[in-house]
Amino acid sequence: MTECPECAAIVESHDKVLGEVFPCPDCGTELEVLGTEPFSVQPAPKEAEDWGE
Amino acid sequence: MKVAIVGGSGYVGGELLRLLLRHPGVEVDQVTSDTLAGKAVGRAHPNLRKWTSLTFAPHSALRAADITFLATPHGGSMERVPGLLGADGTVIDLSADYRLHDPAQYPAYYGRQHPHPELLAEAVYGLPEVHRDAIRSARLIAVPGCIATASILALRPLVAASLIDPAHVVVDAKSGSSASGQDSGPAGLHAERSGVMRAYAPAGHRHTAEIEQETGVRVALSCHAVEAVRGVLATCHAFRTRPVDEKDLWRTYRAAYGSEPFVRIVHETDGIHREPEPKILAGTNYCDLGFAADAHAERIVAIAALDNLMKGAAGNAVQCLNLRAGFPETTGLDFPGLHPI
Repeated sequence: MTECPECAAIVESHDKVLGEVFPCPDCGTELEVLGTEPFSVQPAPKEAEDWGE
Repeated sequence: MKVAIVGGSGYVGGELLRLLLRHPGVEVDQVTSDTLAGKAVGRAHPNLRKWTSLTFAPHSALRAADITFLATPHGGSMERVPGLLGADGTVIDLSADYRLHDPAQYPAYYGRQHPHPELLAEAVYGLPEVHRDAIRSARLIAVPGCIATASILALRPLVAASLIDPAHVVVDAKSGSSASGQDSGPAGLHAERSGVMRAYAPAGHRHTAEIEQETGVRVALSCHAVEAVRGVLATCHAFRTRPVDEKDLWRTYRAAYGSEPFVRIVHETDGIHREPEPKILAGTNYCDLGFAADAHAERIVAIAALDNLMKGAAGNAVQCLNLRAGFPETTGLDFPGLHPI
C-alpha cells in the first residue's frame, strides 16, 4: 500500500500493474502506478480543462 | 414500537411520515394536525397516497406512544414536552424549543422566556455525530436546525484540531424555500421566490446560538434564500492558526468522520461535482463536507451540503430514533438520491 499524493488516503496495490491508471477511492484523483515493488503512484497526466474561471 | 407524529401536516411531518411508514421497526400509530383534522394524510402529502390509510387527528386526541415526534412550529413544543415525558414516553422534538442548554438564550434568540428551563439541561442535542452515546439513553432529543447541522459538522473537526481562530468564523449559508415551512407568508409566494438570491438574515439568525453551543467558537452567520425547494449549503470561512495544506485537512476530516454512515468527505480534483452541493442530496440523509486551504488569505474554507428536510430535520430525527430504539443506525435511511434531478 501507499498514500495518495493528493489526499493522503491509503491506496492498496492489489493486483495493479506498472502504468495502470486508477482513481483514488477518496478524492477521485486519477493515479498512475509508477512501481509495484515497492508500490508507488503519482497523479496521472491529464488534459487541461477550462472551467471558465 | 408505536410512534406518533404531532404536527404531521407540514413539510417536516411529511418527510417523517415518508420515512417512518417504510421503517421496518415502527408502526405509525397516530399523526396529528389541528388544521387538517379528519383529512387523509394524502391530502397534505400527495406522495404518500396509497401508502397509508391514516387520517390526521386533532392534537387534543393524541395518545401515548413509545416515541413521539414533535414537528410543530417553534414554540409549539415547550408546553407539550413535560406531559409527554410524564407519561413515560420518549420525545424527539424537531422544533428549536429544547435545543439550547442556556435558558438565557431563548429571550435573546426566540423572544420569550423558556417555561421549563429545568428540562433544557436534560435535553440531548440530537446530532449523532456529536452526541451518539447520549442519544441512546435520552428521554428528550432536540433535533438540530438545518443550517446549524451543516455548520456544526463542517466546523467541529477544525475546532477540535485547533486549526482555526475561534473568534473569527464566518458562515455564509444558502437555503431552499422548504426550510421556511408552509407558513412562510409573502416571502414564499412564487412571484417573490422565483429567481431569488436574497440575504434574509445577514446577521442575528437564530441558528447562531446552536452553532456556538456545539462548536465553542464565535460565529458570524449570514443566511440567504436561493432558487431551490430543498437544500442547504453552508460555506464556512475561518482563519488558520498555523500553516495547513489540503492533506492536513483530509486527515482532519477523515479522522472525524471516516466511519460515519451519513457524512461523506467530498473534495475531488476533477469532474463537475468536485465540492458538496445540495442538489444531489435531495431526499437523502447525507451531509457532504468539502474544504479548501487558502494559503493566500491564511484561510480555511469548509463547505457543507445537505437536504434541510432530511439530514437537516426528519432524516436526522429517524437516525436518532434508530439509536434510541437500538435499530441499526441506517435503518430506513438508505436512499442514495437522484441524479440527474
